[in-house]
Amino acid sequence: MTTVSETAHAGATHDDHDGHGDAHPSFLQHHFDTPAQQFAASKLGMWVFIATEILMFGGLFCAYAITRALEPQVYDQSHHFLNKILGATNTIVLLFSSLTAALAVRSAQVGKRNETSIYLVITILCACVFLVVKYFEYSHKFHLGLLPGHCFGHPGLSASVLPNGQEVGTCLRMGANPDSVTPLWVRAIDESGHEQLLPPRANMFFALYFVMTGLHGLHVIIGMSILTWVLIKNQQGKFSKAYFTPVDLGALYWHLVDLVWIYLFPLLYLVGKPE
Amino acid sequence: MSSNASAEAHISSGDGNVHVHIASVPFYVGIFVALVFLTVLTVAVSYFDFGAANTVVAMLIATAKASLVATFFMHLRYDSLFNTLCFLAAFVFLAIFILITYDDLGHRGEVDPDYGGTVMPQTGVAAPGSMPATSATANETTGEGPPAAGSGEKK
Repeated sequence: MTTVSETAHAGATHDDHDGHGDAHPSFLQHHFDTPAQQFAASKLGMWVFIATEILMFGGLFCAYAITRALEPQVYDQSHHFLNKILGATNTIVLLFSSLTAALAVRSAQVGKRNETSIYLVITILCACVFLVVKYFEYSHKFHLGLLPGHCFGHPGLSASVLPNGQEVGTCLRMGANPDSVTPLWVRAIDESGHEQLLPPRANMFFALYFVMTGLHGLHVIIGMSILTWVLIKNQQGKFSKAYFTPVDLGALYWHLVDLVWIYLFPLLYLVGKPE
Repeated sequence: MSSNASAEAHISSGDGNVHVHIASVPFYVGIFVALVFLTVLTVAVSYFDFGAANTVVAMLIATAKASLVATFFMHLRYDSLFNTLCFLAAFVFLAIFILITYDDLGHRGEVDPDYGGTVMPQTGVAAPGSMPATSATANETTGEGPPAAGSGEKK
């Protein structure tokens, strides 16, 4: 490795002489020639990972495309049960967190450690706000009985009646009559307070809604964990102008979370016929 | 450094240290303002009915937003071109995935409102490899429900 040590030596800010003339900076792993090579390799690895993430979500987007092509009516009606304003609020919260993540990387690039930490904290707080809004959206839908599996898709079960005998009018069933072969449309009150008729198999929409936003929410939590780890390492002074790769890659992951939501929001909340 | 310089120049030229393009804070804030504007726009147009173009309009705006995020927040503009290729390749394969599945679906019959599964439009029998009926009673009544093991759909 003596052939490469000179270039690394020339620009290294944290020379680590080990007595053999090799002057790798402490952050440079042995199998890389230069910090620039290590940085480029890390970025490439992250982008390949991002591609696999897109393909993982892609399975769900494909399911969305197919079920929507099969029954556009289900999507036209069901999306009225999602709150556009809450969805748009969450979109802006995520976009803002992406901005602060990008600014955290910028601060790391210019070597301002405290600024990086502040931006990372703001990003993580935005992620918390996103999850709190999502919690209210989810719990409202649970309350309406829109969670697939409970009373969706089981015509033989009288799931619209709670265990204490109370009728839950908005709980959806495939058919009003358990013996009926023909699934019936169900009346329910949507987010705007209007009465909507939900077609049979509206559970397809809500199953995809919960799985897609659920998988995205899982990514939000993972992203928060990664950014918290980056924050701790930043506070420990592990990063510098010469080495900020984890800040960069953590932010890339966070931008991916933002990218997925940019598509989820219109596909779930906005498409279909307006009222 | 010129914005047209390839990333290779950033990475391999010079002293071997990491040199990246550093955009200004107002630039990033400007991108954010553009993203918020597009978000407000996509919500606003959702109150109008363009028929079949609803989804197209929403997807065009979403793609514009995603492009802004990927290009500037994710630094693809100043990054190695190969990283951009990796990113875009994912969408190429996603398109192949969805289009072939979509084409397959076109040869599977149509959803029967009474039966709940997909049937061949001409004969009314359950389509091969189709979605199963959505209720057990439907299977019993028609007696033509596709075998559960042959379908990819799990309930």
